[in-house]
Formats: sequence, structure tokens, C-alpha cells
Amino acid sequence: MVEVQHLSYNFGSQWALKDINFSLGKGEFLFLTGHSGAGKTTLLRLLYGALPLTKGRATVAGFELHRLKRRHVPGLRRRVGVVFQDFKILPRRSVFENVAMALEVRGMARSPLERRVRAIIRAMGLETKSYTLCERLSGGEQQRVAIARSMVTNPELILADEPTGNLDFDLTMHLMDIFKQFHTYGTSIIMATHSREVLEAVPDARILHLEQGRVVELDGETIMESEEEFA
Amino acid sequence: MIGQLFRLSGRGLADFKIHPWAHLLTLVAVAMVTLLAGFILLSLHNINIHLLKSRGEVQFQIYWRSDASPELIQTQWEKIGTMEYLQEIKGFTPQDALVELAETLGKTGDFSWLKEQNPLPYSALTSFAVPPEAQQEGWAADLLTKLKAMDGVAEVHYTPLQADLAKGWRVISRAIIWPIIGFLGMVVALVVGNTIRLSLLTRQDEIEILSLVGARPWYVRWPLLTGGMVQGLLGSAAGVGLLKLAQNALADSLNIAPLFIEIRFLPMEQVLALCGAVTLVSAISSWVAVR
Repeated sequence: MVEVQHLSYNFGSQWALKDINFSLGKGEFLFLTGHSGAGKTTLLRLLYGALPLTKGRATVAGFELHRLKRRHVPGLRRRVGVVFQDFKILPRRSVFENVAMALEVRGMARSPLERRVRAIIRAMGLETKSYTLCERLSGGEQQRVAIARSMVTNPELILADEPTGNLDFDLTMHLMDIFKQFHTYGTSIIMATHSREVLEAVPDARILHLEQGRVVELDGETIMESEEEFA
Repeated sequence: MIGQLFRLSGRGLADFKIHPWAHLLTLVAVAMVTLLAGFILLSLHNINIHLLKSRGEVQFQIYWRSDASPELIQTQWEKIGTMEYLQEIKGFTPQDALVELAETLGKTGDFSWLKEQNPLPYSALTSFAVPPEAQQEGWAADLLTKLKAMDGVAEVHYTPLQADLAKGWRVISRAIIWPIIGFLGMVVALVVGNTIRLSLLTRQDEIEILSLVGARPWYVRWPLLTGGMVQGLLGSAAGVGLLKLAQNALADSLNIAPLFIEIRFLPMEQVLALCGAVTLVSAISSWVAVR
């Protein structure tokens, strides 16, 4: 599903990621851990084509990112669902409209679209708020809308950037249950987090630990010494 | 595909409801720029009309040969009298001409001693007023040729001032007016284009989210294009409406002695060109705003 080899990325003279290597098979769950600024978000942004890959190789859902042309980015994003810490939903649109957006861009006919949107909204426990404007929802509800939008297309891979970062413990656990449910259906997930509770919620998940843009630990195996000076 | 385009167009229009203030302010800006451009066009149009009107006024002094019979000359005066666009004809017999000459010279002009051997020929002073729509290229020269070709006519003089003025206006038109219109077009493009682009900042989140869920560029741009077109159309229509109100209020403000200039409204084709240009610029700006 994901294959990353010798991936590096820099912002000007500052290395954000350096020589990253890992792979993720179909149906696997991978946590990206590390402190703020470790490179988790940059890695996710590279994987969904928000940043151009300039050094190294990466393949995501069959798309070779090192050869990805701008016109192919929408194709990649139709195979990958993305969830953000700040939700990225439209506050002046209803729950239904926000979720339906992901299918509308694919040109899906209205009738199957409505069925699928209603089903995912029901699965998220938001069926009574289908036509409520998102600005009137709580933070947890808004994040469920964002997750629903990323999952309504049945993506092969979900990239989640600290999706529970702003939520309390109960809500975090509830959302992790939703992610686990999709994971059991075979969806691959890469989730950035620095929360211990989130890591403990999926005990069989793999963990890739980043520090200052480098992989220091992968699946419990030390790749390099922690706190090592960055070249 | 067609259905999807209709849906996207509908979404572009529905955005007026979602971001009413941003759209309203953009509309006002588009209307104001249209009004400003309209004022300049209106001025050019009225200067043009005024000059065209005066350049159509031309006088010819016609002299007949001395051997031309009075009957022939009388017939030709009548013939000239029926010519199109003739405003006035004043015929002079040799005696009339002598009196006119004496009156012009005042006390020193006593030509009574020339009464028996008057050297002046039959002549006529004609004034033509050709309206702007009938002023084809070379119309004054055609008139001159026609008069010269009349039987018994020795020579025809005409006042070249009006024709020179017309020629001068053409030179000014080519040298100044078109660059002004080009400059105006650029101002409209910059002001309207940047206003529309600024208004799209309110929709940056939507554009980003659509892109994140895999929308192709045309899908993102279509509602913006529709919205931009509607803004251009409504804004330019409002601008033209305000221009019409201003023209109505100012129509007779210069219609006083000695100017007698009536301010007329733009012709329909110029109004349509103005609205079309503003709408086109708005649509293009909306399309290129998201890249």
C-alpha cells in the first residue's frame, strides 16, 4: 500500500525529513509518533501529494510520488482519505453536504450518493444532525464529520494527522473505535499522534517514531540513537 | 456531466447566500468601475457626436462662367436647392454681388461707377449640414465634384476648415482615443480582477478542502467561474444603470449658450460591449484565481 525509500525533504536549508524508509501493507495500522516538529505532518503531506517529493522514492496506492505530475494528484487523493486535527470542514455547510462533497467530486449519481452518505452518517452517530450546519456542532461531532468524509469513499488508505488532538479522553476513545472498525474492514491507516492513550487503543498497530526528521524506531526496533545530532 | 455542471453552477450562485457581504462588496466595486469606465466612454461618445455634427457643416462658394445664361443659372440654383442636406442657398446676380461687396467695404465701397461694366460673375453661397451617420469617407470631396460638374460652373471654393477639423479628429482618435480605451480596459481588468480574487479569499477553505478530497481543477473552478460571471453581469448592469441615471440628470447641463451640447447616452452596442468586457474580465479573473 505504501512504500517509502530514502525519502528526504527540506524547507530551504532546514531538513524536515531525512532518509526515511518504511513500508505499509494492505490493512495495516501504523502510528507516526514524535514530538512537535519531528516531521510527522510533513511526512503525511508528502504522502497525499500536498508537498512535492524531491528526494527519494515513495509509492502510495499505486501512485509513484517521485514521478507524480500535478494533474495526477486528484487521482491519488481519491484513493486516500485524509483527516486533520483542525477538521477542515466547511462550517456553513450541513453535515450531509460536507460528507457528500467527497463523492460529488467523483461525479457519483445522486441516489447512490445519498444512500452512502446517510449510511456513514448513521455509522458516526450523527443521523439526527444530517442537516445541521457544521458550525453548530461540538468539536467531537465536527471531527466525526471529517472522518465520515474521509471514509465515505471507502479509501484504501487513511492518513490521519493527530485526529484526536483537540478532544477529551472519552471522545478520543470513541473516535479510535471508529478507526479500528474501518481497520478491521481492511483499510490501511497511518495516524500521526503523540498521545499514549491513542497508541494503547490499537495495541497491534505498528509504530514509527520520528525525531528531528529521522526514523529512530520502527516496530520496536531501534534504527538510530535517540537525540542524535542532526547532520 | 451536464447535470454536474448545472449543480456546480447552482453552487456558484448559492455562494451568494453563504458569503453575502463579500459578494455584495465585490458587486459594488464592479459597478463602480463600470460606472467610471462608462463616464469616460460617455465623454468620448459625446465629444465624437459634437465634432461629427460640426464637421458635417461645410460651405461652398460657386462661381459661374460669365457666358452662362441667367436662365441656366436660375435652373441650377433651383437644382442645388433640392440637393440632400442643403441647409441654405443664397444666389447672387452680378449686381447683387456688387452691392454685397460694397456693403462689406462700407463707406469706401462705392462701386456705382461699375454698374454698366460689372466684372463679377453669377455666384451662389451654399451651406450643407451632413449628419454624422451620412458622413461617408470623402463625402465633402464628392459634394465638391458634383457642384463643379454642373453646367456653366467656372469654379467652386469651399471652406476647408471643417474638413481639416474632421481630419484632425481622426488623427486624435487614432493617436489618443484608442490608447485611452486600452488603458481603461486594463484598469477594469486589474480592479475587477483583483476584487474578484480578493473575494475568493473567503472561499480559500472550500477550495483547499475540495482539492483534498480529489476534486479536479475544473470542478473547483466552475462554481467560481459561474459566480464571477454573475457578479460581472450584475455589477456591470448596475454600473450602466447608474450611468443612465447620471446621464438623465446631466443631459441638459451643457445645453446652454454658446455650447448647446446635449449629453446623450451611449449607443446600445457600446453598452453591450462595456457589460460584456466587464463580465468577461470577471469570469477570467475567477477562473485564474485558483491555480
